[in-house]
Amino acid sequence: MQNVATASVQSEPQFAALVDALAADPNRREQLTELLREDHLLYDQRGSATTVRMRGWVLLALARAGVSDAALLFVLEELDTGVDAYLVAAAARALRSYPSPNAAFAPFVMRALTNIRYHDELVSFEGYGEYAISSTGTSPVRELLATLAWLGPHARGALREVESLRAQRGGLSKKLLIDVDRAVEAIRDADQVDEPGTDTCCTLPSGLSNTFSWALSSRRGSEPIESTVFEDHEGASITFKEFFRGHPSIVVFFYTRCDNALKCSLTVTKLARVQKLLEARGLADQIHTAAITYDPAFDLPARIRGYGQNRGVRMDDRHRMLRTTDGVNALRRHFKLGVNFIESLVNRHRIEAYILDAEGRIAACFERMHWDEQQVVDRTIEVLQEKSDETTSEVSPGPADCPARHKTKTVSPIFGTLASLGVAFFPKCPICWAGYLSVFSIAGLNQIPYSPWLQPMLVAVMLINLASVWLRGRLTGRMSGFYLVSAGAFAIVLLNMGLGWENAAVWGVALTLAGSLMSALSGKNASQVVE
Amino acid sequence: MSTKKKAAKTSKSARKPKGGAMRSTRAAMSVATSARSTVKERVAAMAEAPLAVCESDKDLQAMLNVLRNKEEPVEVRLAAMDSLATAAFSVIKFESCRNDYIATLREVAQDPDPKIRESALGLLAGEKDGFAQKKLLEGLQNREKALVPPEKALQLLSYDVHAEAYSVARDIVEKPPNADAKREALRLLAADATSAPLFEKLLRDKDELREIRQISASALHGLNPGKLQRHAREMLLDNSEYDDIQATCLTALTQFGDDEAVGKDEALLKSVDRFSAGKTSSKYKQSARRFLSKYGR
Repeated sequence: MQNVATASVQSEPQFAALVDALAADPNRREQLTELLREDHLLYDQRGSATTVRMRGWVLLALARAGVSDAALLFVLEELDTGVDAYLVAAAARALRSYPSPNAAFAPFVMRALTNIRYHDELVSFEGYGEYAISSTGTSPVRELLATLAWLGPHARGALREVESLRAQRGGLSKKLLIDVDRAVEAIRDADQVDEPGTDTCCTLPSGLSNTFSWALSSRRGSEPIESTVFEDHEGASITFKEFFRGHPSIVVFFYTRCDNALKCSLTVTKLARVQKLLEARGLADQIHTAAITYDPAFDLPARIRGYGQNRGVRMDDRHRMLRTTDGVNALRRHFKLGVNFIESLVNRHRIEAYILDAEGRIAACFERMHWDEQQVVDRTIEVLQEKSDETTSEVSPGPADCPARHKTKTVSPIFGTLASLGVAFFPKCPICWAGYLSVFSIAGLNQIPYSPWLQPMLVAVMLINLASVWLRGRLTGRMSGFYLVSAGAFAIVLLNMGLGWENAAVWGVALTLAGSLMSALSGKNASQVVE
Repeated sequence: MSTKKKAAKTSKSARKPKGGAMRSTRAAMSVATSARSTVKERVAAMAEAPLAVCESDKDLQAMLNVLRNKEEPVEVRLAAMDSLATAAFSVIKFESCRNDYIATLREVAQDPDPKIRESALGLLAGEKDGFAQKKLLEGLQNREKALVPPEKALQLLSYDVHAEAYSVARDIVEKPPNADAKREALRLLAADATSAPLFEKLLRDKDELREIRQISASALHGLNPGKLQRHAREMLLDNSEYDDIQATCLTALTQFGDDEAVGKDEALLKSVDRFSAGKTSSKYKQSARRFLSKYGR
């Protein structure tokens, strides 16, 4: 039996046979997902058109065999950024084989419709590698409309947009109007779901994410690529170690000959926006950015400079456009880049952006679907704060591509809240202490000596927490946590300790806890899915 | 007469053809697709038709039928193809017609008439169409399957850098079926970074055709401008090099050279100065004047 991970088929018919065999075998269907990885050996030294035919056939096999959660990300990626009629049509068809419709799919389908409608063409799904040469067959727009009909009331958010397709004069072909009507009818049909509109509109099914983070302790060292040499947009040479060590960095990949405007061109434009966000926060000197080309042989300094300039990228010593001059394969392996080549030219790649920590290790990656600039900046700020914040990390298993996804629990808010609790309920005199001890004796804690020095120490910890929350608020631009913690401290120190209002202590602790958690979670949002 | 009626009359008269000099696009469509009209009339009408070709499915199908119909005169079919291609240029207006248009182009790309095939493949190649690329590559690998001559296939494949044609183009440079095919193969390879050494070799080969050497210089400028400048300098210092090739080298250095390095290169400046004063072509003298004036001579 052929192992997909190492399969080395020579011809396209052999590849088609392999895909058909996998689709027909319920025990091996999951392996189809593996064939959608851009860096798979099977795509090495294939042209772009061949890659399209091969990937399209895999998507059609998934349409027959059913799309699993693991394959869903690839299907949605094609809808999100695909510009090839065959692939978009195949992805639209494949999505309909997902076990159940979900409102989160509707924006992807609508985006695909917007992207492809002016490039609509007939496609043939009859046999491997076939092209439509008559008016029969389907088209991406037709498949997308069928997918909207499949989504039914789950696509309610897109109803107005779908209806407007019909209203546009000289818009879609008359032959497609029947498909539009069918989609509109299905979306309006309230009988198809028990409670239409109750599912969340913009979250992907659980387990699906385009964002992965690595906890501090589980990050892979960057030693294998430290000596990789780059040439920047000015022609200056610099090694990976020289540019990426000592500060966090945001890295995106692109190449100037990419003909999908939704990928490289948009990625580099978004990098420029990220740079502006960093400047606005006063962090442009503390966080480096880099755009590295996949095509270093062609993308000479003048080309990458022009490409960056045309997209508003800031270029200086801390923010560079780079091409690899030595160590390109090591770089590919280190980042596990989702790209493949025919000779030196890219045949297919995914969208990918990385956040590196101060050691040059990958702390987070955003892949396949469009990433949000603010999200990337927030996550990088978290990485920047790693040195100053005490953090513990809990690692949970992630998808095969990423060794770990991380959950960070910030310890400082807990300490801060405990300190507030201690200050609020600290015994004011030895008699009060004796009263506490009589309660503690139930738990066997009656041996604790009276320690009046503890109160100023707890106040100090509380103030440190306040300062930490303020700093985090300033960096993330979200100050609400700080205001709550300030109110809590005010209630404890002035109202409770100063004026002796006992109820103020409970309110103070609650406000401190709420503010600290809000502050901690505001940064954590960066590692969650937005799409 | 009411204002409404007046407006309607004005509008109607505005659309009316005057003295036969103008006709409505609808009338043009009617002539273009009518087998009763002469070839000349139909070709002329086709040129007026693009505005109407996508207005109704009936008109579109009529035009596509003319293009598909092997019984129609080739001139008319080619004019129909031009008319459709012009209409397709208005991407938004052409939205509803595009998929039938592309499918028909693929169909006629295998037409018995070579002009029809070439034009259809040209339009499809401009769309980076996978079908057209596959057919063109098959024709280059197997001459019996070729739909167009090799030089044309290479030219059309060069519209898309991702068309996986580099390997076959290299084979053609190695064993060219004709001089035109070699020239087009080199033009295609000008976007292939791994072909820089090939262009260096061809540029320095005095037995090669001038055109091939000039294409090589241009390709090398795109792929490795530093190397071109080094070769250009050496070729300008070479007394046995041809004038026109030296003129190309001078232009390269004048436009793209490292100003600081060239300005200090006394040997090069003297050599250009000396040659430009001697018996050389006017093209060389002109390039030399520009070069020397840039570097203060």
